[in-house]
Amino acid sequence: MSSELENKLAEEIKSQFPNAEVKVQRKFRISLSIDKESIIEIARYLREIGFDQAVSVSGVDKIKENMFIVVYHIWSTSKKVLASLKTQVPRDNPNLPSLVKIFESVNWHEKETHEMFGINFEGHPDLGRLLLPEGWEGKFPLRKDFVK
Amino acid sequence: MATLHVSFGPQHPGSGPMRLILDLDGDIVVKAVPDIGYVHRNIEKIAEKRSHIVNVPVLERISNIDSFNASLGYIMAVEELMNITPPPRAQFIRVIMSELNRIMSHLYGLAISFESSGLLAPLYWGIADRELFLDLAEMVTGSRITYTYAMLGGVREDLPNGFKDQAIKTFNYFEKRLDEYYDMIFGNKTYQMRLKGVGVLKHDDAIKLGVTGPTLRGSGVNVDVRVDEPYAAYEQIDFKIITEETGDSFARAMVRFNEIRESMSIIRKALDKLPEGPFRERAPFRTPEGEAYSRIESGRGEIGYYVVSDGTDKPYRVKISAPSFRNISALPHMMKGAHMADVPIIIFSTDPWPFDSDR
Repeated sequence: MSSELENKLAEEIKSQFPNAEVKVQRKFRISLSIDKESIIEIARYLREIGFDQAVSVSGVDKIKENMFIVVYHIWSTSKKVLASLKTQVPRDNPNLPSLVKIFESVNWHEKETHEMFGINFEGHPDLGRLLLPEGWEGKFPLRKDFVK
Repeated sequence: MATLHVSFGPQHPGSGPMRLILDLDGDIVVKAVPDIGYVHRNIEKIAEKRSHIVNVPVLERISNIDSFNASLGYIMAVEELMNITPPPRAQFIRVIMSELNRIMSHLYGLAISFESSGLLAPLYWGIADRELFLDLAEMVTGSRITYTYAMLGGVREDLPNGFKDQAIKTFNYFEKRLDEYYDMIFGNKTYQMRLKGVGVLKHDDAIKLGVTGPTLRGSGVNVDVRVDEPYAAYEQIDFKIITEETGDSFARAMVRFNEIRESMSIIRKALDKLPEGPFRERAPFRTPEGEAYSRIESGRGEIGYYVVSDGTDKPYRVKISAPSFRNISALPHMMKGAHMADVPIIIFSTDPWPFDSDR
């Protein structure tokens, strides 16, 4: 399957954000990696060019590299392309800006990622409990060094 | 005026195993805050400890009412990592099972939503008619609810002899029966009055709040993963995306109702086109290092599986973007200004399944 549209989008994003690593994975999928300082800017740009629905936020614990990777999956209902927007934060200082002001739907996804990984989304309206029981303190179940 | 604080659920028959914290002014909802997590099992962590094959029966339990669709998403992500493509016959069988599951899921969801609007007899119509489709699933897989039928490289078993005849017999009956559903329920003035204009979600809000599936299509957004990003054999089958414009509870029920008919027509077409050949190909145990994001359209909407592999036979990370999680998070928006008595109607108009929102 050809991925003309995906290549064109990747070129466009690359010209706007030379510091981002942009890849076309296959048809319907493009992947962007960027440092956390530019994430707000690139998210805003993505929304402007038609990526209107954020569908998922995932944390990945890269314990060997001492990093958390945070992946936003943002879909375009008009272009039918899914972009994965990746950034990384150090495990001992897991802070990054929240995208909730740009994509309202990441609200619960970020809350869950905070609860499971202890990643702080600065500017998120409410990072309280979502899935874990009340009174659960301090331990983050999806971290690789979690021991019950 | 002081607002009244009401904890709606998790024991309320109209809430499912989740809770809504409602602020009421008189009987008007000022604010609704969903509280989920009552059936949280951390399936994402469980999946990290198990091999890909063992993960199938685990992951289908995020949505046991729609189990084939739930496991298919994971299978597709792992197949993408392994770079294998199932044979054509398997792709068609996947479409058939996927649509059977959609019918079961919609019937169950609609049945409960009828009850929430005061129609008690149609609740049992939906539940009883769903049995016919469970029979079909049992004929194919040996089980009625959770089948572990999707396998890496194809499906577990071939379709049995006589399945086509039995399926067509069921559909012939049920297509007529759907007309009765329409007359008795959707054409019923009382039902319309309870649902129309209740829990409205406008086109742009639906996209912004991230809802999916029939809830999104009920707001006039013309999206469906089966068409936008065809998987299995959906590209080779002609069907239309069902949408409604009004974005209220009635529109969402109508989308589900019409999708049942469309699903039966998809299965008929798939059975006619069903190619001969193997139903499964060999799949390796290990996945190479990498990541994949697969999307499938389940009864409640899109399920996204983000699978990261580190080169072993187990996934390094599985993230499930579940449809009910996304739809429930939009409930506060739909409930603002609604009557307390309409709260169950709005909840069930999105067909929530707390097991997949909590995982």
